Amino acid sequence: MTVSTDPGAAADAAAPHDGEETARRSRGPILAVLALVLGVALGIGIGLSIPHFTKPGDDSVEAGFLRDMSTHHAQAVEMSMIAHQKSDDAEIVYVANDIALTQHGQIGYMQAWLRDWGLSPTGSEPAMAWMPNSAGSIVNGLMPGMATPEQLTKLRAASGKELNIEFLTLMRQHHLGGIHMAQEAVELSDNKDVDWIAESMVKSQQTELGLIDDLLKKVQAS
Amino acid sequence: MSTPGPERVPSSVKVSKTSGQGKPPSSSSGSSGKKPGAKGPAGKGGGKGRKPVTPVKVAGGRNWGPIAVAGVVVLVAVGIIGYGVFAAVQGSRDWQDKVSEIAGVVNYRKQNNAQINDTSHKQGTQQYVTSPPVGGAHNATPQNCSGDVYDAPIANEHAVHSLEHGAVWITYKQGLAADQVNVLKGKVEGQDYTMMSPYAGLDKNVSVQVWGFQYKTDDVNDPKIDEFIKDTRLVSALEPGISCSGGNTTTGPLQAAGSDGTVMNK
Repeated sequence: MTVSTDPGAAADAAAPHDGEETARRSRGPILAVLALVLGVALGIGIGLSIPHFTKPGDDSVEAGFLRDMSTHHAQAVEMSMIAHQKSDDAEIVYVANDIALTQHGQIGYMQAWLRDWGLSPTGSEPAMAWMPNSAGSIVNGLMPGMATPEQLTKLRAASGKELNIEFLTLMRQHHLGGIHMAQEAVELSDNKDVDWIAESMVKSQQTELGLIDDLLKKVQAS
Repeated sequence: MSTPGPERVPSSVKVSKTSGQGKPPSSSSGSSGKKPGAKGPAGKGGGKGRKPVTPVKVAGGRNWGPIAVAGVVVLVAVGIIGYGVFAAVQGSRDWQDKVSEIAGVVNYRKQNNAQINDTSHKQGTQQYVTSPPVGGAHNATPQNCSGDVYDAPIANEHAVHSLEHGAVWITYKQGLAADQVNVLKGKVEGQDYTMMSPYAGLDKNVSVQVWGFQYKTDDVNDPKIDEFIKDTRLVSALEPGISCSGGNTTTGPLQAAGSDGTVMNK
């Protein structure tokens, strides 16, 4: 028994050893495949999510500014188109043309970036929520500088000198509100595209303010 | 004695691995008698030879601490990446899928009704499949839809053109209480690509529509109204990039036709 059991015992001891080695041998490729699959899955995941983390999000300053400025611009386009159609002053017709085309083009830039970022062109947050201390700057849903429905009705009905003065006055106020928003965006945003367009708005609208003031003086004196 | 040894070695290995194939009949009595016998002395007799083996096994049986830490790290990383992927996919979901999921919203784009899909400009009053209309041939002039609040019914022929531009049109039953109208007004004022007006013969208190989608409710505070606006405003435009201004700003039926042009087929 002792002689016969010894080889058996030795075999018993050897058996798990052999089994472990074969198991290790068969586990090797499985582990390699698993690592490969996990690596590929991680790579795809990182690839998919990195753009999401680097692009401004739905509640970002950038998205809020682009959405709100699109709405703000749209009203400038609306008022300028009215003046372009109805003003009897060639200089005002041209400045209205300039404002309408520039701002409608800028709306296109802003909407395209939102689309690139996979964001909706409209947000669910209230207007100006991206700007700190903006509570109270919204009156009846209107952002700073925006004309009221009554003012727009008056502009549509006006003609001659009254129309020219009304348009220039409303646009002056509109530019002041817009410049303030754009300055805040330059301050708060670190996206180079948003900074670029906001800075260009500040510059061009400040220049236009000078022209509007000159035209107002000219029209009022007429 | 040398022959049973090598015989038993493979047999015992095979039995442990494949749970006995053809061996039991030939050595059933032998193995059953030997195994308990072998194991008994194996623990004692083979102790000297095997003891170094067992600690090796324990040491080789994984150090779980670092594995657990690495596992947690990987889980957290996968979770963060998974959320990123989810958010990216969710964020870029098509607006039509989103609005279709709102219970009660009717998707007319899916129906492929030629009359609703008609985008042509036509003069004079038009007939529409739904009330209020959600699409179809319309007047060349849109209704102004830059957050315009109209206090009287507007012409369908102008309004449908605004829907083509991506406007959300909120209509309410004529004679709705002023405080309820004001709730709706709050959703429109200052919001480009929206407009609202009372609607004659509306079957619910409120109907909100864009081109091809409509939601009706009796409750002006129904959160689904806001959800509908959020999912559809501007993105529902058939002509992206076009403005909502420069349109007609007057109320009342088309020109002096004296009819609002609506035929209620439904």
